[in-house]
Amino acid sequence: MRIIDSAVRFSSDVASHTVDTYRQAMASCSIDHAVIAPGDNCVTVYNEEGNVQTAEIIKTHPDLFSGLAVANPWYGPKAVDILKRAFDGGLRGLYLHPLRQGFRLTEGIIDPLIDVCLAYGRAVYSHTGTPIVCEPFQLAELARRFPDVRFVMGHGAYPDFWYDVSSAMTQSPNLYIETSCQVGVVLQQVLDTVGADRVLFGSGFPRSQPGLEIDKIKRLRLNTENLAKVAAENAKRLWGIKR
Amino acid sequence: MKIIDTHTHLPGWTFESKPRPISDLRREFETEGLVGAWLFTTDGLIRDTAKNNDILVEAVEGHRDFFVPFGTVNPHDGTESALRELERTKFQLGFKGIKFHPWLQAFSMTHPAILPILSRAGELSMPVVFHDGTPPYSSPLQIAAVAEKVPHTTIILGHAGLDDLYRDAILACKRQPNIHLCLCGPSSGYLREILHNCPVDRLLFGSDGGFGADLIAWRIATVRETGADPETLQKIFYENPLTLISKAGVTQ
Repeated sequence: MRIIDSAVRFSSDVASHTVDTYRQAMASCSIDHAVIAPGDNCVTVYNEEGNVQTAEIIKTHPDLFSGLAVANPWYGPKAVDILKRAFDGGLRGLYLHPLRQGFRLTEGIIDPLIDVCLAYGRAVYSHTGTPIVCEPFQLAELARRFPDVRFVMGHGAYPDFWYDVSSAMTQSPNLYIETSCQVGVVLQQVLDTVGADRVLFGSGFPRSQPGLEIDKIKRLRLNTENLAKVAAENAKRLWGIKR
Repeated sequence: MKIIDTHTHLPGWTFESKPRPISDLRREFETEGLVGAWLFTTDGLIRDTAKNNDILVEAVEGHRDFFVPFGTVNPHDGTESALRELERTKFQLGFKGIKFHPWLQAFSMTHPAILPILSRAGELSMPVVFHDGTPPYSSPLQIAAVAEKVPHTTIILGHAGLDDLYRDAILACKRQPNIHLCLCGPSSGYLREILHNCPVDRLLFGSDGGFGADLIAWRIATVRETGADPETLQKIFYENPLTLISKAGVTQ
């Protein structure tokens, strides 16, 4: 089974959170490809540096990795320029972390960055599940305002908003969900409610671990066709991964 | 390895669920590898506290060798009434501990009934489990602020802060020697941080079992994924829960 991991971040501060550690996990878990995003202070402050580092990792391992860009909306026009440069350099989507970056998903401050995504045809991945800034319905609201942009509910809104996830998914057909950290019973509810076409496998590395997360996906009630969609096909289509 | 689960729920009518025969629940838990489980009321956290404490005690009849019942009391009933129900659960129903869910039960930790209830629970050697990790009523440091005032009472953060507040749970655990962490909720990467920073003797396995298939297996795998050594796992999965509840007169 082909596997694309849509939720990976690295850290330079923790020895076990590195590219090499994750590559070992990729090999042992038969993960074919991963979508990586900058971590730590690159998410909040050093966006450009994080995007460049991410692009360098991809350049070194083009078969293994694709990447998402960061741009803190509080930088205003500068953030727009950072994001455009990252997309021009080959990064495939925008990574948001409203908790760390200090804004609510429903605030207009994010609009210029979403407009860039719309213009480039790129998707938006947001960390979700933390009140009061990135709740499922807040992301669904953003998805309603930008119906032509695809949004990903990162970590399946774990832990606090399990009861809102399926309902939010039904609100916005341009809303996807990434599976890491969230418990199987909630993911099964999503699958039973909206089907398998908008569900993406993610390991959540280093917050969670690839082997654990793959086992979880395999225990869901999915036929072979839908398991393939969740494991890789949906991510391939969403992020425009060629390989 | 023997495993005692310190965080399971009796299925009731809450969350569109429905009651299940206790023998089925026990069979499911044993199949997952448990040798014992602390079993909390679920419906009692929403309504009819005393009635649901009675339902719990009836449910575990004949299964006390496996299930350790934890009831609840309602601070909104007032201090005197809540204390009466606490003592009834101890002396008439034989409950071994108390579970609170400040979010579902809609009380703040500064509610005037909480301190006397926790103090009495300590006198009765009843550990107290709190749902935690979700603002505005259930943050680890809100609970720790009260735990500090009842050092003779064993306080368990039932979700070790969950993914959003696990670092506050670490602070609470390190500061307050009467606080234990139930590792039911934080993702495996965060569990590693908890294990690295907290006294291992105050860490407990828990799963939220009873709320859905696969939860117990998922939580066991999550703890194992930390790569903790066998001695540490033995403490978390078995020895610490056993030690804690033995003080309340239970052997498993």
